[in-house]
Amino acid sequence: MTEKSEQKQPATPQSEEEIRIGVYTCYCGGNISDVVSCEKVAKNLRGMPNVVISRTDMAMCSDGGQALIEKDIKENGVNRVVVGACAPSLHEKTFRGTVTRAGLNPYLYYHVGIREQDSWVHHNDRDAATEKAIRLMTTGLAKARLLYDLDSILLKAEKHALVIGGGIAGLRSALDIARRGLRVTLIEKSPFLGGRVAQLESVFPVNTSARELLHPVIEAVMAHPNIDIFTQAEMLSAKGYVGEYQVQIRQQSRGVSDDMAEAAMQACQQEVPDEFNYGLTRRKVIYRAYPGCYPSSPAVDWENYDGQPLVINGQPTVLYNEPKTFDLAVGAIVVATGFNPYEPRQGEYGYGEIPEVVTLPQLIRHLALLGDGEKLEWNGHPVRDVALVHCVGSREIDGVDDPQEDGQVNNYCSRVCCTANLHMASELRDRFPDVNIFNLYEDIRTYGRGHETYYHEALEKMVRFLRFHGDDRPEVTAAPKGDSHPVLVKVRDHLTWGEELEVPVDLVVLAVGFMPRDVDDLVKQLKISRGTDRFLAEVHPKLRPVETAVPGMILAGTAQGPMNIQETVAAASAAAAKVSVLLASGEVQLEPFVAKVDLEKCDGNGACVKVCEYEDAIALETFTVDGHEVQRAVVTPANCSGCGNCVSACPNRAVDVQGWTLAQYEAMVDAITLDIPELMEVAA
Amino acid sequence: MENIQVDALVVGGGIAGMQAALDLADQGCQVALVEREPSIGGKMIALSKVFPTLDCCSCITTPKMSAVAHHENIQLYTYCEVKSIEENGQGYISKVLQKPRYVIEDACTGCRQCEYACPITVPNHFDSDLGGIRAIRVPFSTAVPQSAVLDMENCLVCGKCEKACPADAIDFSQVAEAFEIETTTVVLSTGFEITPRDAKKEYGAGELHNVIDGLIMERLLAPTGPYGRIIRPGDGKEPESIAYVQCAGSRDETLGVEYCSRVCCMYAVKQAMLISGSLPLADITIYYMDIRAFGKGYEQFFQNARAMGVEFVKAKVASIKQDENQNPVLRVELQEDGSRVEERTHDMVVLSVGLLPAYNPEAVYGIPVEEDGFVAIPAPNFSPCSTNRPGIFATGTAAGPMDIVDSIVMAGAAAAEAVAYIHELEPAEKVPVPAYDD
Repeated sequence: MTEKSEQKQPATPQSEEEIRIGVYTCYCGGNISDVVSCEKVAKNLRGMPNVVISRTDMAMCSDGGQALIEKDIKENGVNRVVVGACAPSLHEKTFRGTVTRAGLNPYLYYHVGIREQDSWVHHNDRDAATEKAIRLMTTGLAKARLLYDLDSILLKAEKHALVIGGGIAGLRSALDIARRGLRVTLIEKSPFLGGRVAQLESVFPVNTSARELLHPVIEAVMAHPNIDIFTQAEMLSAKGYVGEYQVQIRQQSRGVSDDMAEAAMQACQQEVPDEFNYGLTRRKVIYRAYPGCYPSSPAVDWENYDGQPLVINGQPTVLYNEPKTFDLAVGAIVVATGFNPYEPRQGEYGYGEIPEVVTLPQLIRHLALLGDGEKLEWNGHPVRDVALVHCVGSREIDGVDDPQEDGQVNNYCSRVCCTANLHMASELRDRFPDVNIFNLYEDIRTYGRGHETYYHEALEKMVRFLRFHGDDRPEVTAAPKGDSHPVLVKVRDHLTWGEELEVPVDLVVLAVGFMPRDVDDLVKQLKISRGTDRFLAEVHPKLRPVETAVPGMILAGTAQGPMNIQETVAAASAAAAKVSVLLASGEVQLEPFVAKVDLEKCDGNGACVKVCEYEDAIALETFTVDGHEVQRAVVTPANCSGCGNCVSACPNRAVDVQGWTLAQYEAMVDAITLDIPELMEVAA
Repeated sequence: MENIQVDALVVGGGIAGMQAALDLADQGCQVALVEREPSIGGKMIALSKVFPTLDCCSCITTPKMSAVAHHENIQLYTYCEVKSIEENGQGYISKVLQKPRYVIEDACTGCRQCEYACPITVPNHFDSDLGGIRAIRVPFSTAVPQSAVLDMENCLVCGKCEKACPADAIDFSQVAEAFEIETTTVVLSTGFEITPRDAKKEYGAGELHNVIDGLIMERLLAPTGPYGRIIRPGDGKEPESIAYVQCAGSRDETLGVEYCSRVCCMYAVKQAMLISGSLPLADITIYYMDIRAFGKGYEQFFQNARAMGVEFVKAKVASIKQDENQNPVLRVELQEDGSRVEERTHDMVVLSVGLLPAYNPEAVYGIPVEEDGFVAIPAPNFSPCSTNRPGIFATGTAAGPMDIVDSIVMAGAAAAEAVAYIHELEPAEKVPVPAYDD
């Protein structure tokens, strides 16, 4: 399974070598220098022990800034580099690359954060911020004096990715990864592929049929020799590291064989609300998602099947779920778990209380089920006037809107509802020319290419627009008996001088936003994180937009936040590119910041093993010392996270995390607690 | 003619092109990146800070520029233009013209001695023409490559730069040179231009002293900008009241631009926040039709600006004139205030200008554009980067207005598509099937 990469024994500072530090204080284009006097910092550092060069630059990370460092290494014999700049998460890697290009070991570089930790948080006290910068930089110098060569851990990578989710994002990712020549296993929780796109009809921006768009992707995925698909499948556990994650997957039985499927479906009488039609219709517990779905075989809905025998071809038959579980080694995991449409609370805009209040996804399904030429009716009466309400469950305001179950409001924009709503308005006017439409909105956000056309069309087709404010949303009430219409919508319209209007309608359509799916288990298993909007969080929207903080865990599509189909597909392909970057070479590099045991000091007491939270990361092994068999702790670097638990538990100071040793910490603490004058004395 | 053979050609070295090149190169592809300007970095490198994270632009862009320059799989060709392209089996041969820099790129160290010696000052396009720059210069401080370029149109050929250059890098005799790049796939990332300053007569047709565009404000806000602070270009006065006119170039049929430019709402909100930081007492008003804060974290960003006191006024600005003190006077319909028409005076107006296509690939690549002038993408929901020619992809703002976040994701998508395209032309290698056993 895991290779124990050999650790070099004398990984201690090369004491015979003269330490020559180059220290660089970055202006960060004003981000730092507007608050911190970078020149003063640089001047103070100039006299400190081992510092041979102290410079500043407008942007150390620019090519010119990096060239300075390279030059100092090559021409001025600098052999340790400290840069004070942004947070290490942003550019530590950049500068490691710089020193490597100049011939130094990348780990002879140390990065000090004086932006997030200083200039950004102390902008009202320039002197104190400058002093703090000097202090932090001095700490960096203290560590730099004790830096030594480290080698990153090189491991074999499985050329195989797991894609979680069989919607358009998962499908597109899987396809692009497979087309690149890597193996893909795609798992989908439900029995059918296609996700939310399968439930749509005509989709913007070019009015294609959703399923005509989706089906070729599914067919390509199913036909691809590099992809294996498991529906009704879930990941039970995951462990390991980028390049080799061990995952366990469980797949439910389909429940009925193809030869008896039709008869079983006929025999089945048990019905449940059909989630494909958002509860507008009912379906059997042996079912196909929709005619023409993939895979085409029906499946048993095990969550709802009551276990009673069905009479199939005259035989009473009980259906059994015999889940199979299997283990898989994959190099990377793509999380494409999608979204849920927002489910309005009972009574929100009359939802759940007034039968004439529906969601936009429900209306889409209703229209899909309606035959050509059929009239639009709801709750038994013809629909003449419709109100489409934007921003339901989106752009909520803390303190104004009721919080969701978890206590938070959905303060984000759901991105697709505006265009989807206007697309619907247009379609209703085309299909039912007698129907009047009132569009209640805050801002029309038809931002994308071709989206504005839908706004124009709606205006041309005499859709009426009423503009409300987010802190004063429309009210929906049931009309008194005998009124011309069943529902009243009250709105303060800011397009007509804030007039309060009461619009009698036959149907209220709520353009519901995106909700993150309940993927708590997955978040825990994969140790990935969510943003404040509760969607899965990327590392940085511009630097690493589809990667999570866990190496090898990649995000694709709406699990990350609201996106339309086009954006989802682009994000899914981008995710595939990242998987390919990680796995195509067949090797991954891990940071060397893992525990290392000094066998001379270790007495085999095992305290480290007890506190270690990672499987197979540290264990006692038998060694022979002076003819005696002794126990000593040994680290498997690939499984070690470098958390340092073992370091704190060891009574003999026999364990250290490489690159973050106790000696380095002590030197840093000593440095940071010195007074500035003392620092200067040290310097002198 | 020199012939370079690589896997992929990326045309355009802005943020989308750089990201596409890096994502291709990181996947093991050999990439040639061609940029028509003397430096890569595109529009993004001229910006101040970027929404929604308010990272300084250099922090995001310069490391990517550096990574492109140093990547072992990327060959960078700046100041070059693709002149023609022909099919070559399953790939393409692009004829590229290297424009003369009049400076030997490999010899130039970027020391700028030529710049200090040059007697000619011309408007600095990098600073939206606000400041001056010499006829021979390193294009801007973080340019990649750090190599000077001579603007021959404005050069006196006085020879001062040649004398000043310690590296003997000046070469007045340089001529344009053609070479070929042979690739399997091409990624177009040719970017955008902004609405010309004189486009809209109602807004003064670029003649009003203190009416600027969003890009100029970016330069005023940028730490590397021409003045290092926000002043009115007309008279150097520090503005106490700044207005933003949204959709000044977008959603405007009179300009033939019916589409939304997608970034202007957010850059106006962002600039308003940044101005509040440097001019805490200034009043900032944003006149808008709809605030389109649609991306991840954008709505929250917009609400923060509101909470900070930026005034948002739902109104379409009909016209802008200026008073005797060069103060812009806006004629607006205040929709939320009884639809009154009012004339409002501000110290300075920023036009939130839109995005226009920078390049029409029809003639060289045989790739059509749509009515909006951006590259036609036949199946945007199926393959958002695929053009009508196999193996040629479009990404970033070449394929329509888009913000930086979306451009970067789309660049990744183009890289994925291009790599898959290359791979599928090769005989498929056997990929072992795992055992799916209990």
